[in-house]
Amino acid sequence: MTVKAKVGVIGVSIMPRVMDDRRSLEELLFEVTRQALHNAGLTIEDIDGIVVAGNDQYDGRAISVMAASGSVGGVDRDILSTPSAGEHAFVMGALRVASGLYRTQLVVAWSPTEVGSMSEAQRLAADPYFHRRLPLDELSTHALQASAMLAAVPGLEAMAEKIVAKNRGNGAHAYPDLASGELAVAPQRWPLPAGMAMAPVAGAVALVLASPDYVSEHSSDVAWISGMGWATEPGFLGDRDLAQAPALQAAAEQAYKAAEITDPGTSFEVAELSDATPFQELLAYEALGLAPRATWSERVADGSFGANGKLPVNLSGGSLTLNPVFCTGLIRIAEVAQQVLGRAGAHQKAGVRTGLAHAASGPAMQYQTVVVLRRGEQGAAS
Amino acid sequence: MELLKRQETWNITYTHALGETASWFFVQLRDHAKLYGKRDAKSGRVLVPPRAFSDQTLEPTTDWVEVGPGGKIETFSIVYEEFNGLPPPPYAFGYVQLDNADTAIGGFFKGVDLTDPKAASEKLRIGTRVVTKFAEKRTGDVLDFWFEPV
Repeated sequence: MTVKAKVGVIGVSIMPRVMDDRRSLEELLFEVTRQALHNAGLTIEDIDGIVVAGNDQYDGRAISVMAASGSVGGVDRDILSTPSAGEHAFVMGALRVASGLYRTQLVVAWSPTEVGSMSEAQRLAADPYFHRRLPLDELSTHALQASAMLAAVPGLEAMAEKIVAKNRGNGAHAYPDLASGELAVAPQRWPLPAGMAMAPVAGAVALVLASPDYVSEHSSDVAWISGMGWATEPGFLGDRDLAQAPALQAAAEQAYKAAEITDPGTSFEVAELSDATPFQELLAYEALGLAPRATWSERVADGSFGANGKLPVNLSGGSLTLNPVFCTGLIRIAEVAQQVLGRAGAHQKAGVRTGLAHAASGPAMQYQTVVVLRRGEQGAAS
Repeated sequence: MELLKRQETWNITYTHALGETASWFFVQLRDHAKLYGKRDAKSGRVLVPPRAFSDQTLEPTTDWVEVGPGGKIETFSIVYEEFNGLPPPPYAFGYVQLDNADTAIGGFFKGVDLTDPKAASEKLRIGTRVVTKFAEKRTGDVLDFWFEPV
């Protein structure tokens, strides 16, 4: 399947870490929505439809869209929700604009830390027959994936450490106020050493999507979605080879075909990849066609994916800096949109025309989404 | 200003129907200490845990195939965090591809000293042969069995 969706991102608001209790969840969503609308230069009256993504277990609210709709402008408007992943809300919003039935969409996802144990909340994702009795939170599945990869690729620990240092260095530059101080290190699972995954933080993200007509009429700055793909691996972990990422390969193929990208290694100026652990960033290099595993060691050592490298990966710092679990995938897309729009602030790279976003969610990256974004001049479709 | 928080605890009980396939699997486990998978006739793969249908071919599975008790470790982790209803940490768990099976089933590893995780991880190295052990008193649950390195 190839999705040739002519859809633009015109507004973004990223709150990768909310540190205080000044706002309830509903008030936080109100704020991130207002910021995204402001960033796009429009008001809620200009929004034709809304897609939100929330996780009921994290929210502590059954059917979280019920709580969210008022905060994001959903009252008496077209609003849909998905519980699978924040990035799936982006896909749905983009497809709705591409359908020609909508000129604009607001996409919002969030991830609070109000539940007593994120791990226990995540265990509800496992089936209640065979797997619920195992300690299968997401961190455990990431550790199982790390074990599989360590067995498959010699020398991986040293590469993983370098990726952690790269992303944390980027994060300290991108979000100095948020990335500093009392950021707890996630509890250990062998073979993940302390510090190789981050404890969850609260966060939220919102994007405004628009059709070419709307962009043209309003002379909006725009990051065009030139390719988009998504795919899912089997639900049972034991059915998967955790040292491979076939769903990500499939998602990348879809996105690259639509974007007419034949050499991904030389086609992007920035990339944001899902990095719940550094092992997942490495796996993404391969599945996205950026670097096969035989070259990981060399590419990590020579800084190819560093801030000053050929293709900077995770200039935002990634989830290894700030990990708002449920919306970290949509944040990867939002970060690339900001880079393409030239609005990334402290971590803006000069001259970004094309960016690659990889969003992964679920146990050991079960859900994979790839988005290619391209710079468009004011109002022009490129 | 003073900012308040409200704590809530929900304790809701669910009674999940296992269906014919999982029910048969857990009855064999409980009454005979044996593990079975189900064959996907189209691909020929034996799926463990068993399911009524293959999510690859979307065809119903056909015959039961006894699997194990031997197998090999596909992946593992050692857990240092406490979970509701699970033994006090540390403990090891992971996935084992049982003999005659084409997919791996999750379970706990025992019989390995976890004091030194590095040494333990050598004993649980991926590809290591294991044997399934069964609890004397079985209730028809995943906790009725575990794996030990041979």
